[in-house]
Amino acid sequence: MTLFARRERRSPTANGRGAPRRRTVPRNQRLAPYLFVLPNMLIFAVFIVYPTINNFNISAYDSNNGRTFRYVGGRNYSELVDNAEFWAAARATALFAVCFVVLVTAASIGLAMLLDQRIRGRGLFRAVFFLPVLLSPVVVGLIWGWIFDRNNGLANTVLRGVGLGEPGWLINDKLAMTVVIFVALWTHVGFYTMIILAGLQGIDPTYHEAAMIDGASSWQRFRSVTLPLLRPTTMVVVILSMIAGFQAFDFIWTLTGGGPVGATTLMVQYIYQHAFESPIRYGLASAGSVVLFCTIFGLTALNFLYNHRKAAA
Amino acid sequence: MRRHAAILTAAGFAAALLTACSPGSSSDSGGAQQADEKKLTYVYFTDGPDEQATRNLIAEFEKQTGAKIDLQIVPFANLEQQLQARLSGDNAPDIARLSNIDPFRDDLLDLNAFEKSALDGQFIDGAKAYITGKDGGLLAVPSDLTMNGPMINVDQFKKANVALPDPKKPWTWTELIAAAKKVQQANKTQYAIAMDVSGHRFATMLSQYGTTYFTEDGQVALDKAKATAAVKQFADLNNSGAMPKDVWLQAGSKYKGANEVFLAQQVPVYISGNWQVSAFDKTAKFTWKAVPNPCQDRCGGFPGGKFMVSFKKSKHQKLAAQFIAWMNSAESQKKMCQQAAFLPTRKDLIASGIDFPTRGEDMNLFLADVKQTPADTYANVYNPAFSAAANAARDELAKVLAGKETPDAAVDAMRTAAQKALEVTK
Repeated sequence: MTLFARRERRSPTANGRGAPRRRTVPRNQRLAPYLFVLPNMLIFAVFIVYPTINNFNISAYDSNNGRTFRYVGGRNYSELVDNAEFWAAARATALFAVCFVVLVTAASIGLAMLLDQRIRGRGLFRAVFFLPVLLSPVVVGLIWGWIFDRNNGLANTVLRGVGLGEPGWLINDKLAMTVVIFVALWTHVGFYTMIILAGLQGIDPTYHEAAMIDGASSWQRFRSVTLPLLRPTTMVVVILSMIAGFQAFDFIWTLTGGGPVGATTLMVQYIYQHAFESPIRYGLASAGSVVLFCTIFGLTALNFLYNHRKAAA
Repeated sequence: MRRHAAILTAAGFAAALLTACSPGSSSDSGGAQQADEKKLTYVYFTDGPDEQATRNLIAEFEKQTGAKIDLQIVPFANLEQQLQARLSGDNAPDIARLSNIDPFRDDLLDLNAFEKSALDGQFIDGAKAYITGKDGGLLAVPSDLTMNGPMINVDQFKKANVALPDPKKPWTWTELIAAAKKVQQANKTQYAIAMDVSGHRFATMLSQYGTTYFTEDGQVALDKAKATAAVKQFADLNNSGAMPKDVWLQAGSKYKGANEVFLAQQVPVYISGNWQVSAFDKTAKFTWKAVPNPCQDRCGGFPGGKFMVSFKKSKHQKLAAQFIAWMNSAESQKKMCQQAAFLPTRKDLIASGIDFPTRGEDMNLFLADVKQTPADTYANVYNPAFSAAANAARDELAKVLAGKETPDAAVDAMRTAAQKALEVTK
């Protein structure tokens, strides 16, 4: 009787008054999930959040040694605006990121469609496309640098053999950027393909069966069933590849060093050179990092908004 | 909504609080509390065979004094950043080997306070202004000298029947180019002349054409006509295929040596410096030798070098200064030069010469070029703005080779960059 009475008092629905109330969870159980994520959040706060906020701070100072800082306000930003090298790096980064996002998204959808077929050796093909993801970016840059060397590289040895001349892959600015985009695509496409593949396998086959019964062709099924249902996965790929595109540095450093004549110098290399190469300028490098952070943050937010509206519509 | 607003306000407050604070630690460059233990840390970057020579000398010092030296080898590319981080974290090493002391000038220990009699006035005069602090203190000791210069593939010269240059009557650039092209044709090598991708190496050519980046009193020098002639010659050599244009363009903004092209016997003349001697002695599979620098308007090469320093934050200042003085005594420096194929920085050793056990002829040829090298080149290489000016020259040369700039415009841009470098480093 007592028990029933207590339950009745706690449950407003029982006496027909108001909305249902949540069951009370003991305090230690409420805390448990937070304690589980605490170590990770601490690491995240110390190594990501604090440096990010401090980076905003440092961008208002000038320092060549990390110990003595001189307040300069917004002068580092105005110096960036007036700096032709910064704009060249920004243009190169935008070009690289746009090409990389478009190509890697299209290629990973295409490859995922192929690897989703019931074909012999499907596991092997999946592994082959994923393998470059496991390679060190430094090694990737060095290997492709040797392949595209004008005089002694594999690519031009083959081209010379079939009478197609010897293009200066890494000494012509347009070709060098093409090579950089290609190498980025080769390295990362396997990773994004796996994400798309997971999305494809999450699509209920009954949609395709219904479309087939209605007489839809393969292309119509791809366009009207697969692509719309892949939208959330594609959005993940677009956002991740966009962030990777704006942050590209390591393999480019060993492949072209940012050359020829700065044609493949992207924003991260520009920041790296000012932060770690003599003469060191931490403030200017931090201002560049802030600009890059805001760009990536802004574009990611726009992407989310666009996709939310599209999904709502 | 109210909760979101509270979170945003808290985050904004934290950011504002942080922004209000000056970043970094307090700048305390005063002396550190001294420790009694006889243990030193020595941050070192190596050019190759000098590491073993350094270890041998350290072992000798340890035996003589009972001290313990912890030799910490770091990659050259990370040296400045690592040292800055250690100084920021109050974890300064006792000694460091540097190629550029300027970023640390305020942190360096005055070695004269401990070892004035052993060190003061003993080293090449060209470095004196650079290693002297504002208050007249001795901030660094030039521990080895480098000299840029050409090396040739003797086998290929012989096959082409081209006479080697006479050390007593150096060749001109015109003669060097003619000889190199003849050897290239006879041996069907890819190139005739190679030069490392480096503004420092190009400074050699500039000096031989009669100009430098800076004057001795620290103003921009670069004579327009002379510098343009050097840039034009350099561009012609690259565009005609006599020099490997790809090496310069493919390097981007990284340093790249052309030593691999020379070792692969694809170029008979390689312009680099004496630090290659020891490495080539072990790796070259052909007969090679160092030859005199070409003369144009002027003779001689272009110097460079490394320094040994200690820090005000060192906890063993006296012992550190003692170690630096010992390592750079006539006896120790002679041993170092002999074992690592280095050039001496001590005036007495330069005057007396060194009996190098291997490749002595080549090393003494570089040493002879030290005496031929104009004094303003030392003022250049020890100018704080030199690195930035030399890197800008490297980038402008790449633009000329890519056909994006004329030699004339490149020299104007080099002058502007040198001026800006002076302003930034002042």
